[in-house]
Amino acid sequence: MENGLSLTLDHIFSSLFELSPEVILSIGILLVIVVGLVKKDHAITTLLTLLIFSFSFLFVLSDLDTLQQPLLLFQGMLRKDTFSLYLSALVDAAGILTVLMSWRNQREQSHLQEYYALIITVALGAHLLVMSTNFVMVFLSLELISISSYVLTGFSFDKKGAEGSLKYFLFGSVASAVMLYGISLFYGFTGTLEFLSEEFLKNLAGNITPLFFIAGLMVVSGFLYKLAAAPLHPWAPDVYEASPMPVVAFFSTVPKLAGIGVLTRFAMTLKMADQSYDWQSILSVIAILSLTIGNFSALLQKNTKRLMAYSSIAQAGFLLIGVVAFLPQGIHFMLFYATVYVAMNFVVFIYLQYFEKNGFVTIAEFEGIGKTFLWPCVFLLIGFVSLTGLPPTGGFTAKLFIFSSLWDAYQLSGKNILLWLLIFGLLNTVVSLFYYLRIPYYAFIKNRSINITTNILAFENLFGLVLVLLILLFFFSPGLLMGWINKITFVSVIRFPLSVIG
Amino acid sequence: MVPVYHFLWLGAFLFCAGLMVIITKRNAIMVLLGIELMLNASNLNLVAFNQLHPAHLSGQMFALFVIIVAVCEAAVGLAIVLRVYQHYQTSVPDEVTDLKD
Repeated sequence: MENGLSLTLDHIFSSLFELSPEVILSIGILLVIVVGLVKKDHAITTLLTLLIFSFSFLFVLSDLDTLQQPLLLFQGMLRKDTFSLYLSALVDAAGILTVLMSWRNQREQSHLQEYYALIITVALGAHLLVMSTNFVMVFLSLELISISSYVLTGFSFDKKGAEGSLKYFLFGSVASAVMLYGISLFYGFTGTLEFLSEEFLKNLAGNITPLFFIAGLMVVSGFLYKLAAAPLHPWAPDVYEASPMPVVAFFSTVPKLAGIGVLTRFAMTLKMADQSYDWQSILSVIAILSLTIGNFSALLQKNTKRLMAYSSIAQAGFLLIGVVAFLPQGIHFMLFYATVYVAMNFVVFIYLQYFEKNGFVTIAEFEGIGKTFLWPCVFLLIGFVSLTGLPPTGGFTAKLFIFSSLWDAYQLSGKNILLWLLIFGLLNTVVSLFYYLRIPYYAFIKNRSINITTNILAFENLFGLVLVLLILLFFFSPGLLMGWINKITFVSVIRFPLSVIG
Repeated sequence: MVPVYHFLWLGAFLFCAGLMVIITKRNAIMVLLGIELMLNASNLNLVAFNQLHPAHLSGQMFALFVIIVAVCEAAVGLAIVLRVYQHYQTSVPDEVTDLKD
């Protein structure tokens, strides 16, 4: 017994060393709060957060380079593989960009250390969620993301912020309670909480009942909530409108990446265990709904933040297409799409933040500002063109890839629903053209004489230029990124590990 | 020993009751109560199912974690309700409608 205990402790201890990015983030949360208490200097707190994210990013990248085979940590709680590492790297990159954006936002200056601590907490939750292979870990990391997000929503400290966080909280806690009930049913069917284990699959396969189907839907709905996909999207526009701009940019990337990561693993498991219910078609319907509802509602929006909220719902639909294909290249292309999505989203949000600070909140107010703010509007245009998915931007390549994987899946399985998804995806791309290009249209084509002196935009333009170059690079040589992504083997996403450390 | 089915029926009843409370009651505090009911329904399920799979105590451990998370959630939720009350002088979500299409 004592021997077993010491072995377990050794295993836990050695697991901790494999988890260096998460350890850095955890220490970082405490460090930011303490430093923020001692030093009131905003620059130091921001710099410290930036350092924490950069270190975590570098550690993830070095792990991604050296990891030979998937590792199972903490006795099957977490699973470190190339898929989770890649998503963690994206999360950290989004974290760095959010901190840079917050640097320019004056509004959060009052509670800066709490703000950064919460941002790091959400990133930590996202790291853990994409690694989770156990329902306990899934629930805990999902709640880590959710509870911090509820608070972050209210960080504009005004009337709208309070309302936004209330709505987010009510929707979110009901979604997680429903998901938990589904998890408890799965535990009853299989007797294990590790959803990638052999035992789970074996016990599930003999247990396919309508109740199983409902439990599956309940768990999936918890993930779709984080993804802001269609039937569970109504919180997104209100929350986005209420939150400060860097937080909106953060919400539209990090929880989505985490949600799509865990959904991919879980959907693969469901599909392997269960032949009688067609999970591919169910996810296709969800993707169609997300695309259609997101794009058509965005057409009616006047506020830029609400526009971006519906745009992010539609983009969640595109991310889902990569999962729906249930093919190795589908997952690779989904990761490619996610990378491009992070870059193009931040280009758009950094300039929307700048314009919001100068009082341009509704789309109509952008009328005629293209001449005064030439470069910001050009970069904003490139961001929007990329979100639409037109050449010569990375968004085009990403959409092309993701549709080609869907086409492959259709040819392989011959399901009509996949063809419908393809058709809806293409049609929605056309629809999205109308609302994405409305802001550049107002800015460049319409004329209005305005007298606003342009302040120095050096920071925004540098930030935007780097991301725009990145987006163009993704178009002209997607092979650079795909080389990285192709290292992620399909086996590593679903099958279980060949080695257990410790 | 009480058969596991009794617990499952109770759990299902609690879950439905919680959902009903959330849908029908207008006050945010009552919605919080409903969420607690739903979480405890899952707890009951987890503990009851552990009876069927007694090799590990994972279900009971999970229930403990859920209790802790539920407390955190309620604390944050009450703080948010308080903040809304300061701004709107009400804790009824239907009357808090500055944000809409």
